[in-house]
Amino acid sequence: MERAEEETPRIGVFVCHCGINIGGVVNVPKVVEYAKTLPNVVYAEDNLYTCSSEGLSKIKEGIGKYNLNRVVVASCTPRTHEPLFRATCEETGVNKYLFEMANIREHCSWAHMHEPEKATEKAKDIIRIAVAKARLIQPQKEPEIDVTPSALVIGGGVAGMTAALSLAEQGFRVHIIEKEPELGGTLRHLHKLYPTMQDASDALNQIIKAVESNKNIEVSTSTTIKEVKGFIGNFEATVQKVNGEAANLRVGTIIVATGADIFEPIGMYGYKEYGNVITQLQLEQLLKDGQLKKWERVIMIQCVGSREEKGRTYCSRICCMTALKNAVLIKELLPDTDVYILFRDLQTYGGRYEDYHRMAQDRGIKFIKYLQEKPPTVVSAENGKLTVNVYHALLGEQVTISGDLVVLSTPLTQHENAKELSQFLKVPLGSDGFFFEAHVKLRPIDFATDGIFVCGTAHSPKDTAESVSQALGVASRAAIPMAVKRLRTEAITAMVNENLCSGCGTCVKLCPYGAIEKDAKGVARVTEVMCKGCGVCGASCPEKAISMRHFTDEQVTAQALAALGRLTA
Amino acid sequence: MESEKAVLVIGGGIAGIQASLDLAGRGLKVYLVESSPSIGGRMAQLDKTFPTMDCSMCILAPKMIECFRHPNITLLTYSEVQEVSGKAGNFSVKVLKKPRFIDETRCTGCGECAQHCPIEVYNEFDMKLGIRRAIYVPFPQAVPLKYTIDDEHCIKCRLCQKTCRAEAVDFNQQPQTISLSVQAIIVATGYELFDVQRLSEYGYGRYKNVLVSLEFERLLSASGPTGGHLLRISDGRIPRKIAFFQCVGSRSLKGGVSFCSSACCVYATKEAILVREHVPECEVYIFYNDLKVFGKGFQEFVTRAKDDWGIKYIRALPGEVIEDSKTGNLTLWYEDTIENLTKDMKVDLVVLCPALVPRVASKELASVIGLELDENGFFKSKDPLFAPIDTNVPGVFTCGYCQGPKDIPESVAQASGAAARAAEVIALGASREAH
Amino acid sequence: METEPRIVAFLCNWCSYAGADVAGMSRISYPPNVRAMRVMCSGRVDPSFVIRAFETGADGVLVAGCHPGDCHYVSGNLKAEKRMETTRKLLKLLGLGSERLRLEWISTSEGAKFAEVVRDFTESIRKMGPNPLRTEVDAKASANTNTKEVISKALRKTNVQYCLECGKCSSSCPIAKVNEAYSPRRTVERFLLSSEDRALSGTDLWTCLTCFLCTQRCPSDVRYPEFVRACRGIASKEVMEEICAHKGIPLALSRIMINPKIKQERMGWLPEGAEVSRKGDFLYFVGCLPYFDVYFEDFNLEIMKIAQSVVKILNKVGIKPAILNNEKCCGHDLLWTGDLENFEKLARINVAEIKETGATKIVTACPECYRTLKKDYVELLGNMDFEVLHISELLSKLIDEGKIKFETELARKVVYHDSCRLGRHMGVYEPPRKVIASLPGTELVEMKRNRENAICCGVNAWLSCNKYSKEVQIDRLIEAKTTGADLLVTTCPKCQIHWKCVTSEKLPVDASEVTMNMRDLSVLVAEAMNLA
Repeated sequence: MERAEEETPRIGVFVCHCGINIGGVVNVPKVVEYAKTLPNVVYAEDNLYTCSSEGLSKIKEGIGKYNLNRVVVASCTPRTHEPLFRATCEETGVNKYLFEMANIREHCSWAHMHEPEKATEKAKDIIRIAVAKARLIQPQKEPEIDVTPSALVIGGGVAGMTAALSLAEQGFRVHIIEKEPELGGTLRHLHKLYPTMQDASDALNQIIKAVESNKNIEVSTSTTIKEVKGFIGNFEATVQKVNGEAANLRVGTIIVATGADIFEPIGMYGYKEYGNVITQLQLEQLLKDGQLKKWERVIMIQCVGSREEKGRTYCSRICCMTALKNAVLIKELLPDTDVYILFRDLQTYGGRYEDYHRMAQDRGIKFIKYLQEKPPTVVSAENGKLTVNVYHALLGEQVTISGDLVVLSTPLTQHENAKELSQFLKVPLGSDGFFFEAHVKLRPIDFATDGIFVCGTAHSPKDTAESVSQALGVASRAAIPMAVKRLRTEAITAMVNENLCSGCGTCVKLCPYGAIEKDAKGVARVTEVMCKGCGVCGASCPEKAISMRHFTDEQVTAQALAALGRLTA
Repeated sequence: MESEKAVLVIGGGIAGIQASLDLAGRGLKVYLVESSPSIGGRMAQLDKTFPTMDCSMCILAPKMIECFRHPNITLLTYSEVQEVSGKAGNFSVKVLKKPRFIDETRCTGCGECAQHCPIEVYNEFDMKLGIRRAIYVPFPQAVPLKYTIDDEHCIKCRLCQKTCRAEAVDFNQQPQTISLSVQAIIVATGYELFDVQRLSEYGYGRYKNVLVSLEFERLLSASGPTGGHLLRISDGRIPRKIAFFQCVGSRSLKGGVSFCSSACCVYATKEAILVREHVPECEVYIFYNDLKVFGKGFQEFVTRAKDDWGIKYIRALPGEVIEDSKTGNLTLWYEDTIENLTKDMKVDLVVLCPALVPRVASKELASVIGLELDENGFFKSKDPLFAPIDTNVPGVFTCGYCQGPKDIPESVAQASGAAARAAEVIALGASREAH
Repeated sequence: METEPRIVAFLCNWCSYAGADVAGMSRISYPPNVRAMRVMCSGRVDPSFVIRAFETGADGVLVAGCHPGDCHYVSGNLKAEKRMETTRKLLKLLGLGSERLRLEWISTSEGAKFAEVVRDFTESIRKMGPNPLRTEVDAKASANTNTKEVISKALRKTNVQYCLECGKCSSSCPIAKVNEAYSPRRTVERFLLSSEDRALSGTDLWTCLTCFLCTQRCPSDVRYPEFVRACRGIASKEVMEEICAHKGIPLALSRIMINPKIKQERMGWLPEGAEVSRKGDFLYFVGCLPYFDVYFEDFNLEIMKIAQSVVKILNKVGIKPAILNNEKCCGHDLLWTGDLENFEKLARINVAEIKETGATKIVTACPECYRTLKKDYVELLGNMDFEVLHISELLSKLIDEGKIKFETELARKVVYHDSCRLGRHMGVYEPPRKVIASLPGTELVEMKRNRENAICCGVNAWLSCNKYSKEVQIDRLIEAKTTGADLLVTTCPKCQIHWKCVTSEKLPVDASEVTMNMRDLSVLVAEAMNLA
């Protein structure tokens, strides 16, 4: 039961201590007293942890007891708990859009930990701003939409295929599009997989067979994305084959499984300069083709082009195990060959990789630690051999090794199509070039944009087992909206006052989601379900004809003035 | 029981919670069984999480509350799985609900009872550094927020019963066996800390100022025994020099476990940053062997710790710790393997990062369900590469740390993966039924 | 066929050498069996010269110096007298016969005396017969070994290949803490990199005390001392000789014993009324106590009391132990200095002799013999028919069974030191403590570093006794002293010897900080049983 729009606002303010996160810096009781003095605030209290069950009960209690029709919670960032508090309001009959948050933690107590008085003053200001808006907000309705029970998987590698198979088994239709002429992704180029040392091709072929024979999965190879429109439940993707054939796919969810490229260390350690300096991938190919020479000594160098001071600062996770795997394979085929691995920190993590490392030690593979600031050097010597000079960090001495082959372990990097795809889907890339998830800890395979998910090395470097786990993960995440079939979407959308619209078309041009069109009358019309609520249209309209629900010009202006100490009447 | 589509999730940590929310979110029924009085698991005990430095409870609490409120999720806390029979698509499960001696339908979580309870016990949540009463909630944000009476320490004075206005205390409560019918099972039982007292050279258990990381985390936490003030428990002094030891019991062929616990290098970095935040003048040293920075954002996190926070990393695993019994201060011996020098260092506090091992209780659970464990006690994957979430029992899946060492994001992703596999089983059953 | 006696002579420059010259100048004949070496003073003659000479097959050794009072260096000859007395006792124990060593005072002018001495000595040696060691192969026989193979095998067997370079070993090692140049970890790394030449030709390999503290703590279960032991077999022996204390005499004695013709005379210590036999179910393995007793007699450690106490205790509880009257060294020091070939020889001899006694139980009061008999012999030769007990284990059992009666209140505060071999090597920590705790009027206190964290007495197999080991030893003694105990009890005679050695020298600290009464456990128990 919702309360009428025309009612006088009765605002309740709940100020949170958040343990000592806020209360240890900001004088919360003082702030509560201040809140009570603000116009339309009829009740204010403080809580230790407003987000706890106890805190939520207090909100409900307050709403009922004091007949509140607007709620302000002054605590942490709305990005964590806004949905929770909104839901609490709804349960007590207060429309969730009649709720406002004041961030007095991330924006206040945490940033001014050593200036409690100033932090307290700022907290008061922040609450005043929130109250200024709360006085003007109106209840909103969230439209419901249907969800198309099919998914688009972009990328036909092991991650994409695993996600597709799971979704298919769960009863959903899946389209896989793959830009290469065949399925398989990076696994096609690999020889053996660690730590089981099983054949990559065998395993891959089994999965491909399963995909191709699954009647719920449709595969389109030599195909790329040309355009994506729409929103969760209702995406429309235009895909195009190499030969120009285009098709439109209507799907409910999209999964990004485009994988990664492998860095080519041009100009490093003699790569491409000397014929016997190669990458791990190239070594993998040699091993696969049985093209081994009777090398006397093979020297592998880790962290080539990764864990840098600037640029590719990240660790590519899989290179240490790849090097160990290939080193062990070389030793098996050429027992008399000496193998050296020059590393910085050995990434042998997880339940099994330390055992694998010991196996490598067992085989007599030699390990030399080098320092980031003293990298090895590779120069060519006589007879086509190479001389590797490295400062052995753990002996404190220069060591010179003569070898016939130097193998460089390079990182996985952003896929060449990632930038383009990120623009098509309007999903972000992180500073490391990989796709950036909604929340690093608790939403690792979701994008902030609803309905789009990411898995595999498109997300970050990882191995087969980890890619499979993430792929199954997205199969669950994507299945949720498809299983419930109807979703409620955001209410924060643009609205047009047709009387004021002059039909100039500025908003149509500017809308990043193509959500606005000029209708038959020449007036702007917003397709609400496509509108993401960014507000660019509202800011550009010369006639003040288009504005955002819940972020009207009036509301935002009131906040700005409140920030300066002025509360409008 | 009705034969509706249901999944049993064993373990109420972040992995179990995520799997439950995924399944419930798509309309399936979930029974979430947790052996302690509240869900939340290890994440609830953390102050902040790496590498984002999010407040752990802040990002966890909404999920815990969602589990509680979600109409499709039935929380069975303070409960254990006793019997499992049947097969994929049709499991019969018996869950033992241990008596809390509190009527959950009446308890409001007000806490009046605990104020009057005369018995003080070292609380497990604070790793025994803090105190609770015999009638307690494990932590303030517990879900469900219902009190529990610890039968082992309760002296049956009944003061709680007298003061409870909701009349929720019931000393006659009996253990209850609940029978469930589910289509799939997800095991997400998490980890515990390896007992490092065995490594007598470090003095844990004898020296007051040698702690393990989770104890230290509680000291740093606002909800912990010192209210988040960084103090030595021994004398209340603020430490000026702290040393973290990595790999205590991990990567060992003797006196430990053979694997790498995979999260310690980064969580030690996190705790080190927290130290510098709390006490900017406190020097922090992290003693490591190989710095495990393989995760997303890990290397950058460590670089920030070095460059921005002045945390010093020394490549050495110390040989021993000696206590000055008068002051409680510690001297540690190490060989700086980069400088090639064996020397000692005097510090105020030593924090050991112990191996994180599958819970001992998983052995029992494994035999109840018929699951295979690998040589390290992790639930064995059907195929370590292509079916890591499947176990040897069809219809039973595993995720989170109990499947193998991993951090929170990996646990969350894998938990969703387990939900997908469980959903596949149910879909298969449904399509069979349809035919 | 009679072989000509071979006699080695050490003649002092100022008197006896000149005297021999005069004999020649005067054309006095004497048997040509003597080969003379000039030394500046008879006091220069180290017992190791003599022992080595005999080990190499000399039938007799003559040491000649100036008459007392005439020594060019004041009293060098008197020192020679004392030393030769000790050496003679060693020779007697070995059964070689003390008469094979002769000490004479011969002045410059006594050419005739010189000839007479030679004549006489040659004759008596001829009568004594050739040195039983005469036909022995070179003591340090080294078969052609493939160095790389030995190292590769050792890397695997001792888990060195799994080293993670963490440095726990170096920061646990008592020597590494005081000797900057020494790092077990670095040594391992050199071997792993196949740059072992440096390691094999340096002092690193011989510095290790083999105390197992690093092994105790190493997460990769690297058994560094065992690795060191294997490499010592192929390492430079010249280096070893340079750093071996007491000129390697104890090792030479062990090697000498290998020869089956050596019939020792080593039973003189048996107390009156002692009941022992040649055969029996129970064997008491004495160890090299009689030799230590002679060689270290200046320390006044009453070493033989250990053996005497053991026998008295055993007799008291009704055990008549068999004792080998030609017991050979167990071979511990040879094994740990890398002389695997001779170790094996000793092992086989001992096992055969023990078998002959029919013994099924062996008790020993020496932790090194205990480890060697119980562990290393089995590793080398397979399972044995006998069980090996340390005396502390036996005593603990007997106390449990009520078979031991303590008559005397000792009123001592005792601190117990875990020796490496009994402790970390073999895991025997509690039985000695139990025994001490049962002694009436005895309070047992612990050092901070006890049991698996105990610190070695500082020397092993007579190697690397230097300023670093002294530092470790003094540190340990201070630790013992600061417990407030008035008695330091060990179960290892060598620990006592090494500590006594360091406290007899000039100390960097006040003597009161380190001087402690020491007792072997068996001796203490015998005292409490009123058997002393």
